[in-house]
Amino acid sequence: MSGPRLDAPFGRLIDRSCPTQFEFEGQVIQGFEGDTVASALLAADHWLISRSFKYHRPRGPLSLAGHDANTLIQTPEAPNRLAEELAAGNHPRLRAQNYLGSLASDRYALLDRLGRFLPVGFYYRAFFKPRGIWQFWERFIRAAAGLGVANLEVQPRYTDKQYLFCDVAVIGAGPAGLNAALTAAQGGADVLLIDEHPYLGGALTYHRFDVEGTQSQDMLNTLCDAVTQHKGIRILSRATCNAWFSDHYLPVFQGDRLFKVRAKQCVLASGSSEQPVVFRNNDLPGIVLCSALDRMLCHYGVTSRAPVVVLAGNDSAYLTAVNALEAGLTVAAVVDLRSGPGDTDLVTVLANANIPLYTNATVYEAKTDSSGVRLGKVHVHTCAADGSVGALQAVIPCGILAMSAGFMPAYQLACHGGAQLEYHDDRSAFALTRLPEGMLLAGSVNSIHELAAVCVDGRNAARRALRALSLTTDEDETRHCPQTVNHPWPIFKHPRGREFVDFDEDLQIKDIINSARLGYRDIQLVKRYSTVGMGPSQGRHSALTTARLIAKATGRTVSETGVTTARPPVKPESLGVLAGRRFHPIRTTPLHDRHRALGAHMIPAGSWRRPAYYGDPKDRAGCIEAEAQAVRTGVGIIDVSTLGGIELRGAHAAEFLNRMYTYGFLKQPVGKTRYAVLTNEQGVVIDDGVAARFAETHFYVSATTTGVDRVYRDMQRWNAQWRLDVDIANVTAAFSAVNVAGPLCRDVLLAAGCDLDLSPEGFPYLACQEGRLAGIPARLMRVGFVGELGFEIHVPSLMAAALWDRLMSAGEGFGIRPFGVETQRLLRLEKGHIIVGQDTDGMSHPGEVGLDWAVSHRKPFFVGQRSVKILAAQPRCRQLVGFALSPAAPMPKEGHLVLRGRDIAGHVTSCEYSPTLGQIIGLAYVHPDDSGPGSTITVRTDRDVCVAANVVALPFYDPDNLRQGL
Amino acid sequence: MSQADGENILCSPISGIGRRLTDASNVLGLMDFSLAARSGVRGHGAREWLASRGLPSDIAPNHISDASDQGLVMALSQREFWLLQPDADANVQQPASNALAPGAWPLYCQHSHAWLMLIGEPKAAMMAKLCGVDLRECAFPIGQVAQTQMAHVSVVIAHHDYQDEAVFSLFVDQSLAEYAAGALTDAISEFNPPGV
Repeated sequence: MSGPRLDAPFGRLIDRSCPTQFEFEGQVIQGFEGDTVASALLAADHWLISRSFKYHRPRGPLSLAGHDANTLIQTPEAPNRLAEELAAGNHPRLRAQNYLGSLASDRYALLDRLGRFLPVGFYYRAFFKPRGIWQFWERFIRAAAGLGVANLEVQPRYTDKQYLFCDVAVIGAGPAGLNAALTAAQGGADVLLIDEHPYLGGALTYHRFDVEGTQSQDMLNTLCDAVTQHKGIRILSRATCNAWFSDHYLPVFQGDRLFKVRAKQCVLASGSSEQPVVFRNNDLPGIVLCSALDRMLCHYGVTSRAPVVVLAGNDSAYLTAVNALEAGLTVAAVVDLRSGPGDTDLVTVLANANIPLYTNATVYEAKTDSSGVRLGKVHVHTCAADGSVGALQAVIPCGILAMSAGFMPAYQLACHGGAQLEYHDDRSAFALTRLPEGMLLAGSVNSIHELAAVCVDGRNAARRALRALSLTTDEDETRHCPQTVNHPWPIFKHPRGREFVDFDEDLQIKDIINSARLGYRDIQLVKRYSTVGMGPSQGRHSALTTARLIAKATGRTVSETGVTTARPPVKPESLGVLAGRRFHPIRTTPLHDRHRALGAHMIPAGSWRRPAYYGDPKDRAGCIEAEAQAVRTGVGIIDVSTLGGIELRGAHAAEFLNRMYTYGFLKQPVGKTRYAVLTNEQGVVIDDGVAARFAETHFYVSATTTGVDRVYRDMQRWNAQWRLDVDIANVTAAFSAVNVAGPLCRDVLLAAGCDLDLSPEGFPYLACQEGRLAGIPARLMRVGFVGELGFEIHVPSLMAAALWDRLMSAGEGFGIRPFGVETQRLLRLEKGHIIVGQDTDGMSHPGEVGLDWAVSHRKPFFVGQRSVKILAAQPRCRQLVGFALSPAAPMPKEGHLVLRGRDIAGHVTSCEYSPTLGQIIGLAYVHPDDSGPGSTITVRTDRDVCVAANVVALPFYDPDNLRQGL
Repeated sequence: MSQADGENILCSPISGIGRRLTDASNVLGLMDFSLAARSGVRGHGAREWLASRGLPSDIAPNHISDASDQGLVMALSQREFWLLQPDADANVQQPASNALAPGAWPLYCQHSHAWLMLIGEPKAAMMAKLCGVDLRECAFPIGQVAQTQMAHVSVVIAHHDYQDEAVFSLFVDQSLAEYAAGALTDAISEFNPPGV
């Protein structure tokens, strides 16, 4: 289904040689390449496109520019897409939304007749009394609520973000924006020109600026050619700048990409929104803004056999009538709210075309045609400037009513930057003031409407930007703009209502006035109570009328009343595009591929990925048991590359370490390691590690996987005060490490080839040495974290994979087996070693967790020393202890509470079944009175099952420490 | 240890990316130079040590300078310098930990950071997808260094010439190298024809 189109130059956006088609509500609609869904529907004389939000009134295009919510439709992928923005043919099947039955005969339209019972705020005042009634109403309200249907099966699209940098960002490619962009680029600036439409020119592409209609066409061609050919201008079309943030950070949406624009200067040439006249039934399909009719003709070549009436609040509307005449439409009348046009030539033009002109008159009421859903006629009454209406002058049959009550600056972006809107009574218009530094206005957003002045304004804005960038010293051109485009009171209240102020939310004059009468005098409260301006239009067509109505109702000026706060986004945006491509940095050790090849089950450890164990997750317990068995009886190897590593070098390295950690390090011999506990200034244990002294001036200190960045930061912070001669380097990534543990580990190292004496005498427990292992330069440390004979081997990271391969090869004959983090956690638990962060929390001090022995009380200072002393002198309120349970008992989990009577005494921090010991073992905070070995504690496990556990002495395994010293 | 042995010992943290320069300038190429030689020095004596070796020592922070046959010297601060040798292979010795000279401490950048090299005309446009710094030639000319974030990880970006081509050298923590290379490869795919 399609209708005839106008010949060129009308229909500049469509390609008549490329037909397209789609289905709307089951009806096949023909269109052309370049059509939007809305324009193709209009060409098919299909003016009913949607139903309104609250009363389900029939709705058609208002702005035809995507600036209102009248054409929201459903695509297969998503609801609430604007038919004015969707390209015709991109979606083969489309539907309307928000109706019951059919679009033409919506059963929910009954709500329109019940409107008097559904005033603003009825949600707040109904449905909650009597108590419990909400449950009754909820199902009806939920069934009726929401617009469209979300497609839960839709495949996510690839969305992305990109930074863009420029000297000058020009937002809006109308006559002001084009002039600004060109002038700025000619002045040497790098310019980014942003426009929401697929074409350049803005109003030049549809609006008639003079009776002859030549001005805009000539200017459009000249400007577009110059701008597109200038190398200093980058053009982003179909792109919406949705906000302005500090320092000219502009989020610009284009398709599935969000551009994060960083501009030095920002020229706002975003234009203005034409304002509707408010009268009864001003929302019927067929009633459009003058600019919409201009777009219909000039952009899409859509014609209509129905007569057209133009309702003018300014001279600009007359030019729409001229446009319509030239397109061959029947202009039935021009109704002027004023005493006549400022330009008397316009009267002559109408007279020559025999078009009746009604002055000091308004459309007081619109009525539908026989279909009941489309404009059929308008009632014209006399009116005065204050909005009072007199006698009926005429009833004019028509299918289209084009109206213009004036213009409102597209103020949103400026207001994001803190600009203020000031109302000028002499012009009945808002104007923007107090702009942020570096933001410049140009064109109609600057309340300039006469074409020549708009162009000058654009060039002047560019010059100011260039001056700020020190690229020119040129002064501004003078401009004059005497044109007044706003009618002071285009609001005509009707006794039977239905004069819509906000089309999105179905708000009428009485709704706004009643809000004020109910005490919501502040415009922000009116917005929240009535929801005015909260729809997709974001107040473009309602803010001015609302401000006027509230000002009158509260006896204030419009300036005092103001408009509601404009917040980002300017237009609806997709959460998917906001999220963009997901960046989740994952750290892997050089052995990652080896682990995967060995069937490791990888788990996150901070930002790292580490093997939990090797084997099938379905047999987790079996895998861990086998790995633990290998370490206890043979030899195991674990990747500990994620351990933090900090290098301290310099004459004061020992002194620095001594101040940072709780233990004494000044006398630590070269070639020895020492356990190092770090407390913060509150005396809380925040990290631990091993300090290996490789030279008098050289310590290599390990830190926990997730704590090393903090430790490194703290070290730098403290030494900024202490000024010690020490170089602090975070070498976590530079060195990778493995721990080879088990009674046979020495044999494996010898088999791999080592130039160090690895005997118990040559390399005793807690020793450290540098040497070559398997031909690879390495730092070796004898440690006992898992409670067995063990060597921690640190090598430069690029050599870690070779080390692993050679050790695995050398250990083959000894049954070497890799083990993962979960096995390591079990083994260290058997040995009673704590993990900082798991067995400690933000309150744990050394005494509580059994680390008193690692605190030197003889040295003058360490970080947190004073707090540690104070805490140690206080009565202790909890103690970390080991506990054991029979294997048949319910297994406590980390976090389960330890109860003492009805009080919470502490919680479990670690708990595992130990196959070596044949019992459940764990660590828990308990009341100090219960901390002695032999005490019994109560642990509340899952489903509130309480179990009695025995407190036992630590370590659970090898209490005499014989095995790690082998 | 011979270099032949070294080849068996050293393993780049990045898989699947080679070290050969791409021929076409209109496409983006990503090369892995992680096994090329680099070292670092920092401390109050670092500049004197550079000078004693005949290396450029008057480089301002966040700049990179050609040291002719000795490679490139990159200044990360007033007291921290990296010596980059893209045409030399990394050695397999234990990295030095003792002071090179009074107040001049060696750094382990050979092993701590992976080295990626990006070549091709649209490299700044591609990097704009990952990095918030303006890397266009006009704002980030040859000789400049940026220490910033790329795809949410820390990166050092150096703009320099290599084999008569303007390139970006990217240094990322070696544990994040595979992730960073993935993010780069994905971003590059928009600029290169399919299959390149």
